[in-house]
Amino acid sequence: MLRTIGLKLVRLVPVLFIVSAATSLLIELVPGDPILVIIGAEGDFDDYERIEEELGLNRNVASRYIDWLGDIFTGDFGEQITRPGVKVSDRLKQTFPVTIQISLMGMAMALIISVPMGSWAAYRAGTRFDRYSSGAAFGIISIPSFLAGLLLIYVFVFHSTVPRYAVLILGMAWSLWLLWSAARAQREDAGGMLLRLAAAIVVAGLTVWLANKWPSFPRQGFVRWTSEDGRLENLRSALLPAITVGLTEIAVFMRLLRGDMQSTLQEDFILSARAKGMPPVRILARDALRPSSFSLITLAGVAFGRLIGGTVIVETIFRLPGMGSLIVNDGVNVGDFPVVQGGVLILATFYVVLNGAIDISYSYLDPRLRRGR
Amino acid sequence: MAADTVLAPDTGYVAGQVVDPLSYAHRLMRVTVGLIGGVAAIIIGLMVLTEVNAGYRVALTVGGLVLLFLALDSAGKLVWGPLFETGLWMSVVWVAIVGLSAAFADFLPISEAKDASATIFDGTPTLKRPDLLSAHPLGTDRQALDVLGGIIYGARVSLQVSVLAVAIGIVVGGTIGVIAGFFKGRLDTGVGVLTDSMLAFPPLILLLALASVMDRSPRNMAIALAILGIPTYIRLARVNTMVFAEREFVLASRAMGSSRRRIIFKELVPNVALPIFSYAFIIIAVLIVAEASLSFLGLGIQRPDPTWGNMIAAGQDDFDRHPHLVFAPGIAMFLTVFALNRVGEKARELWDPRQTNL
Repeated sequence: MLRTIGLKLVRLVPVLFIVSAATSLLIELVPGDPILVIIGAEGDFDDYERIEEELGLNRNVASRYIDWLGDIFTGDFGEQITRPGVKVSDRLKQTFPVTIQISLMGMAMALIISVPMGSWAAYRAGTRFDRYSSGAAFGIISIPSFLAGLLLIYVFVFHSTVPRYAVLILGMAWSLWLLWSAARAQREDAGGMLLRLAAAIVVAGLTVWLANKWPSFPRQGFVRWTSEDGRLENLRSALLPAITVGLTEIAVFMRLLRGDMQSTLQEDFILSARAKGMPPVRILARDALRPSSFSLITLAGVAFGRLIGGTVIVETIFRLPGMGSLIVNDGVNVGDFPVVQGGVLILATFYVVLNGAIDISYSYLDPRLRRGR
Repeated sequence: MAADTVLAPDTGYVAGQVVDPLSYAHRLMRVTVGLIGGVAAIIIGLMVLTEVNAGYRVALTVGGLVLLFLALDSAGKLVWGPLFETGLWMSVVWVAIVGLSAAFADFLPISEAKDASATIFDGTPTLKRPDLLSAHPLGTDRQALDVLGGIIYGARVSLQVSVLAVAIGIVVGGTIGVIAGFFKGRLDTGVGVLTDSMLAFPPLILLLALASVMDRSPRNMAIALAILGIPTYIRLARVNTMVFAEREFVLASRAMGSSRRRIIFKELVPNVALPIFSYAFIIIAVLIVAEASLSFLGLGIQRPDPTWGNMIAAGQDDFDRHPHLVFAPGIAMFLTVFALNRVGEKARELWDPRQTNL
């Protein structure tokens, strides 16, 4: 086990090295010039040369990169060039939580929705539920995330009465359907009837409560988890971006899990569990989910890594102070070398460690993959 | 479950084949009613009720479209049998429409969509609402440029960029992947580290750098996007090559004394090419989204050349009052991406039965 982890960590080093070296080369190509940002419109050529000399920007890329690399080994991310005195590590500390919270919420939401839906679609393969949910997943995959974000803003911010009434109508319809099925229940099945009756009341109550308490979502901005406005405000400002981020993943995960689950359900141990009379929910959750989740977990890791690097679109739409906009606006666009380097290094490390951890987790998911220790 | 449905014909399943329990005349009537009702709802929604709240009109039109789809679905099943895939054929038709109108955009009677100086003085209204019977079926934007025209020229850019990018990606990535998969060993490890690094690299930064160095023409955008796609193709080609290299026909060829080059070109490449090509439609769809995202962020092709992304970006500032500026190009893009995904899914089903995981 330790050997596997060690090998993964060893592989991390060349990848991070290549990524950071490539980053510094690429920044060199980007025309943004931090010195022009510092001296502004007033400065003249002498100022330019003086500042270039002070910051050591007149040296070539390779030597600057090696300097930066040396600092990194001592844990020093350097200072922002365009805002002297501001530590890059502080900026990263400010922005990382925003990005990570939105990505985590999006991923959690995607998994919570896609795992039960995908499992049930596989169990009821070919039925109406399967066809409709697969069709919906197909449609959702085809919505680009910036369009999804704008659509969510249009519906939830500009026309917030629409989702409110939609919740009210759908909830009431569900409750009525439960009532109707309770009324149709077999006479011997008194317990089931009572259960449905109770469910109908609960659903109706929840619907009314939700429609009453329907929150208004902000068009833009972010309230921090640690701010004094409270956790609820934080969740309110993070919800729409998180949905935007997670929406596509719901569909992708669902389709993937449905496919794998369907082939797992053909296996003998599922047949034996069924023969023992286990209820379907228990079979799906206890027996079938674990062996079916390989591709899902692999893809979730890749997707999570992408999300962290790719939240810049969501951060632009909702104007959030996240890492994507830090790297793009304060880094690449003005040629701020340490900001981009630091940001990309954090993102790449996160991505590689996450995927390494997922590789290792395979042996826990499927004992057949474990080698002799 | 399958076993039960074989014995229950009224559920619509008989021994795996879908059979409609209704009579021919009944189904024909359903098709007719659906067609008439659907078309009527769309016409009323789009053209007759011009004074009514836009929300109701949209709801009516969407209802009409659903009805029309159901009617076409039954009609298709009536004529071509119960396994007719209506959605697939509609997707093919949509892709064809988009492709043809993009190709012949210069010959279509569309109003000015690029040059704002031409529309300022000729009295074209700005921010006109969509009205299907007017000269501007999908309305105009802030500079009185035609939205429909913009969508069509945008389709041209999207298709040019993504098709070219896929072609470059297949050639370069496919070659590297086949070589890595065939020779294995150290070369393969090296390629593995390289693809890992490319995948771990934030794609946006790569695109930013490339976009700012290169002139933002469709050709250069295609090259930038192709670089992003190459690791995926390398992985696909590598996995497929490894699978095929173990097969008997390769062993036979090797036993007959074929050179390595002959094995690669005569045995492996033809077999690996098909599953890779079957992904092309889906990757074109992904790249259309990527190109649009870049233009949306202002990093892609700029105005005056309209693209779906820069049209949406320009419309997003006050799109609560002028939603057509965002949603007209948005819906066009969604439909195109959806159709390409649907067609690509079928292509993969036909040509890549093993459904290789990336």
